[in-house]
Amino acid sequence: MSPGPVLDVRNVSVRFGGVAAVRDVSLQLRDREVVGLIGPNGAGKSSLLGALGGQIAVASGQVLLGGQDITAAPPYRRARLGVARTFQHTSTFDGLTVYENLLVSALGAQGSGLRGSLAGGRARRQRLAVAAEATWSRLREFELADMADRYGAELSGGQRRLVEIMRCLMRSPRVLLLDEPMVGVAPHLVQRIQADCARIRDSGVAVIIVEHALEVVEAVCDRVVVMASGQVVAQASYAEAMSSGAVREAYFA
Amino acid sequence: MSFYASTLIVYFFVDVLLAWALNLQFGWGGIPNFALIMFQAAGAYAAAVVSLGPDTGVNSFQRYVFGASLPFPLPLVIAALTGGLLAAVAGSFSLRRMRRDYQAAILLIVSLIAIQVVSNAVGLLNGSNGLTGVPRPLSGLLSGLTYDGYQWVYAAWAGAIALAVYLLVARLGRSTWGRALRAVRDDEDAAATIGLNPLGLRMQAFVLGGVIAGLSGGLLVEFLAAWSPAAWGYAETFAVFTAIILGGVGNIWGVALGTLLVQVIFLQVPTFLPQVGYTGLIDALQWVLIGTLWLVCLAIRPRGLIPARRYHAVPPAPGPGTGNPR
Repeated sequence: MSPGPVLDVRNVSVRFGGVAAVRDVSLQLRDREVVGLIGPNGAGKSSLLGALGGQIAVASGQVLLGGQDITAAPPYRRARLGVARTFQHTSTFDGLTVYENLLVSALGAQGSGLRGSLAGGRARRQRLAVAAEATWSRLREFELADMADRYGAELSGGQRRLVEIMRCLMRSPRVLLLDEPMVGVAPHLVQRIQADCARIRDSGVAVIIVEHALEVVEAVCDRVVVMASGQVVAQASYAEAMSSGAVREAYFA
Repeated sequence: MSFYASTLIVYFFVDVLLAWALNLQFGWGGIPNFALIMFQAAGAYAAAVVSLGPDTGVNSFQRYVFGASLPFPLPLVIAALTGGLLAAVAGSFSLRRMRRDYQAAILLIVSLIAIQVVSNAVGLLNGSNGLTGVPRPLSGLLSGLTYDGYQWVYAAWAGAIALAVYLLVARLGRSTWGRALRAVRDDEDAAATIGLNPLGLRMQAFVLGGVIAGLSGGLLVEFLAAWSPAAWGYAETFAVFTAIILGGVGNIWGVALGTLLVQVIFLQVPTFLPQVGYTGLIDALQWVLIGTLWLVCLAIRPRGLIPARRYHAVPPAPGPGTGNPR
């Protein structure tokens, strides 16, 4: 088996009107790798993440997932193929409980068929039981089982972040995109999420993290991609990138 | 008295169907359907024209299209299908990705345009005079009954339909489809990232709601024997919103209670009471009070009298933290 890149980004550009937010970016992501996507405000990090998740249309270039071209696929189809992501803003399902937030994700498209969910039947009950079991084990793993019945709206900022990450993991994704996962998170939960990132990687997932807190990037990322003005200015280990003249210029120019 | 009671019961069942349709679309799907009453009207007109018989020509006292004399219960089926079809058409342009307040505005405008078109294109559905003389279903078969007796049979029939729709929406609400729909309601982008197709789910909810609203219109027109633009002003939509918000958005029983309080007790009962003040005073006051009631609900009990029920997850047998028994 040739372990090609799980995510292959080829010359991707994103434009908003006349403004080029992402210009000709190429990068590759392998299994079991955490990549930090960093750069000053307005560098195009979130736009690139949107282009990978499908929330933002790509002006030119290609996005390949495991060799399959997903450039034109809408977000829900990319999700079905194994791309999971969180957003900068909180995005828990606030009218659902924590348990339901995870369960609905575990079932995904399978649970959303109108006919299937009305018809019942043994295969369907079986699927539900499997999803429920997976949900409970995930809740225990993250030590949130006692919050199973809380509504999303009743959680703190950090707890919401955890639920969002857990919700992604219920999908057993191949690629996980985290957009500033530490924003609004209490310090003790930052430690938790950091540890979780490493665990997620070790379970065979490729992770991209957009993060402003550089100490977090240093702690969890195997390498970093530095962006400035929509372009990649460096791809290297954290230490190498930080000592590079181009990166310093990007941050402090 | 018996006549009033049976009439109110039919109204309740018709209104509760409409409220459940809105609960499905708005309560679970998050679609602010400010055109709700248009879908009921579509069902009512459809049932009327397919039971009135062919339009006899220029000299007939009312003009309409698609005239036919279909036997019971086909007009009701056609009413439901028409509501669903109209929802599919309206949904195709109003459910696209945009802010929810824009969707609300678009749907309200569609409903206002529809009522203007129907009122003014007289050849279509007899304009603002509306259609009258819609035959009551099975009146031949039930001709042995007194008028009062027929009313009660009709109330029971309406109740049977309401029961069937109740079973359907209750099942939909509990289903994994219902949960997926509520996820889309809470965050469309996040729902897509777990593999749910937001537009597809909302379209399904919108069309199902349209079918139920159309059915309620058919049921109502066969009871009233008449239908006109006066019956479906946009204010009627807001009465349904008030009913479900008062009762408890997302809870089927709460929505039914809200319907009983707002649509039946508040809006219908006074029409059987003696007139107070000048003509139209009670009507005007009712609408002022409906608006006030809506605001008061939102201020002091935003989740309604019977709020949506929280889902209680049951941990599997070994219990949390016990670990693997092996």
